[in-house]
Amino acid sequence: MRRIIIDADKCKGCKNCSMACIKAHKSSDATLAFADPQFESRNTILLNGEKKYKPLFCRHCDKPACATACMSGAMIKDPKTGHVIYDRDKCATCFMCVMSCPFGVLKPDRMTNTYVVKCDFCAEHGSEPSCVKLCPTKAITAKEVK
Amino acid sequence: MKHVIIGAGAAGISAARTLRKQSAVDEIVMIATDRLAYSRCMLHKYIGGERDEKGISFVEEDFFESNRIRFCSDRTVTKIDTSNHQVCFADGVESYDKLLIATGAESFFPPIPGLKGAKNVFGLRDLVDARAIKSQGSKAKHVVVIGAGLVGLDVAYGLLEMGKKPTVVEMADTILSSNLDASAALTYQMKFEEAGCMFKLGCKVEGVLSDASGQVSAITLGDGSQLNCDLLVVASGVRPSIGWLADSGIVCERGVVVDNYLATNIANVYAAGDVTGLSESWPNAVEQGEVAAQNMLGMPNEYTDTFSLKNTIHFFGIPSLSVGRLNGKEGDVEESREDRKRYQKVILRDGIPVGVILQGDISRSGFWQQLIKNKVDVSGRSKDIWKVSFADSYGIEDNGEYKWLFD
Repeated sequence: MRRIIIDADKCKGCKNCSMACIKAHKSSDATLAFADPQFESRNTILLNGEKKYKPLFCRHCDKPACATACMSGAMIKDPKTGHVIYDRDKCATCFMCVMSCPFGVLKPDRMTNTYVVKCDFCAEHGSEPSCVKLCPTKAITAKEVK
Repeated sequence: MKHVIIGAGAAGISAARTLRKQSAVDEIVMIATDRLAYSRCMLHKYIGGERDEKGISFVEEDFFESNRIRFCSDRTVTKIDTSNHQVCFADGVESYDKLLIATGAESFFPPIPGLKGAKNVFGLRDLVDARAIKSQGSKAKHVVVIGAGLVGLDVAYGLLEMGKKPTVVEMADTILSSNLDASAALTYQMKFEEAGCMFKLGCKVEGVLSDASGQVSAITLGDGSQLNCDLLVVASGVRPSIGWLADSGIVCERGVVVDNYLATNIANVYAAGDVTGLSESWPNAVEQGEVAAQNMLGMPNEYTDTFSLKNTIHFFGIPSLSVGRLNGKEGDVEESREDRKRYQKVILRDGIPVGVILQGDISRSGFWQQLIKNKVDVSGRSKDIWKVSFADSYGIEDNGEYKWLFD
C-alpha cells in the first residue's frame, strides 16, 4: 500500500499541507481562510514541549483502531488499496473512531458534528495526496510500503 | 476445518471476517436468532425512523456470499452437545470442529414486583425489541423508561423522534452516571427536557401495575407517587447471554469463562464479545472476535487489551467522550475548563491522567485513551494540560506508521 511517509525533522510548520488538504476537499468556491470554521484540514502539525514540529497525518494503519471501533460499517480498511476509507452516508456519528484513534488524528466536523473529518488519500484527485504535492521541504512523501 | 459461530454481532462478524481472511478453504457457518447482522448501537435510529432495518446493518450487503459464509438466520440454539461436537436446535443439529460462542448479552430485568409477566414491557437489546417499541410506541400514550444510562436515553431519543414524550425514571441523581460527571450529564438532561422528555431522578421503581388483561397500566415510585404507563421499557443494564449453556459443561461465572486465548474449559470451544462479561464495548468485542478466530485457526494469540472504561455519546448534536475515572478521588487533581460550547475535565493522579471527560468538542482527542491506559506521566510536559498531545511521545515505525514512545 501507499502511505504518506513523514520526516518530522524536515517540517518547518508552514502548514501548506493543511491548506492543500482544505483546498482538495472544499466543495464551495469561497475564499480559503484558516479562520473560517467551514474549512477544516484532515492533517495538522503539532508542537511538542521542545517546540519541535510533529506532523499529524492519518496513517491508514495496518490495524486501524478507528475501523475496529466503527459500529456502522462506515470506516473500513480497503483490502485493495490498504487505505482506511470512510462512508459518510453509513456513519451513525457515534464518534467511537475519534476516541479510538491512538494518535488523535480524527475529529467530528466543527460546524455540525455530523461526519468525521478523515483523510481519503485524495481519492478524488487520483490518490495523489494534495498535501504531499504542496510540501516545500519534502517532510511528507507518498511511498509504497509493506 | 468447519467453524461454527453462534451470534452475528460485533464479535461474531469480526471472527468470521478473520477466519475467511486467514483461510480460503475452511467452512464457516454463522447462526443468529435474527435475519440480519445489525448494529444494536443503532436501534434507536430505527425506532426514531431515521434508519430502516437495512440501514442499521454494519456489514456489506453481500457479506455472507462474498465471504462464503453459510448464514443460518432466525435460528435459536437450544444447547451445545460438546461430546458430539454439535450445536442443537429444536429441530436439528449442526456439527462443528471449532465453535465460537458470541451470543452477546441480554437485557436485565430487575426484580420489581409486578414486572415479570406484565405485557407491553420490553428491553432494548435486539431488533425484535426495537420493532416492538416502535409499533407499540406509536399507539402508547404514557411511555416510561426505567434507567437513564446510554440505552435508556437511546430509547428516549428514539421515542422523542416519534413524537412521544417519555418519562425516564432513574435511581441515581444524575442521568448517564456511568458515563459522565454531573456537569456534563446536566447538559444532556436539559436538551432532553427541552425536547419533551421528563426525568424522575433519584427515584426507585417500587412496583409495576397491570390491568385486567395483563397490560402494564402504571408504575409506583419510591416516593409513593404513581405514573400512568401503557408502554414500559426497561434499560437497567445487560447480562451475558448464558442461560442456554446451563447443562453444556461450559464453565460460566458472570459470563462464559475464557482464558487469555479466549478458549473455554471445553476443547475447541471459544467465546468472544459481551457473552464473556469481559467488557461491554464494541471495539473490545471486535478485537475479541478477531483474537478468538486466530486461536480457532491454530494461530495462538492472546487477548490483552481489556481496558473498557471508555465511551462516546452523541445526542442533539453534542458529542462527548469519557475515558477512565469520571470523578476525582481524594488526592487526585482535577483540571477543567468550559465555555459556551464545551466542557472539558481531566483527572490526574501523581501526574498521570486517570480520567478525561470532553463535551462539545472532541476533536483529535484519541490520544487521551493511550495516556490513561498506559499510565503515562505527563507532569514533565507542558504546564498546560490542554496542550498535551501525541507530539511528546511521537515515534515512527519503519513502515511509516506512528508509534507511542513512552518515557
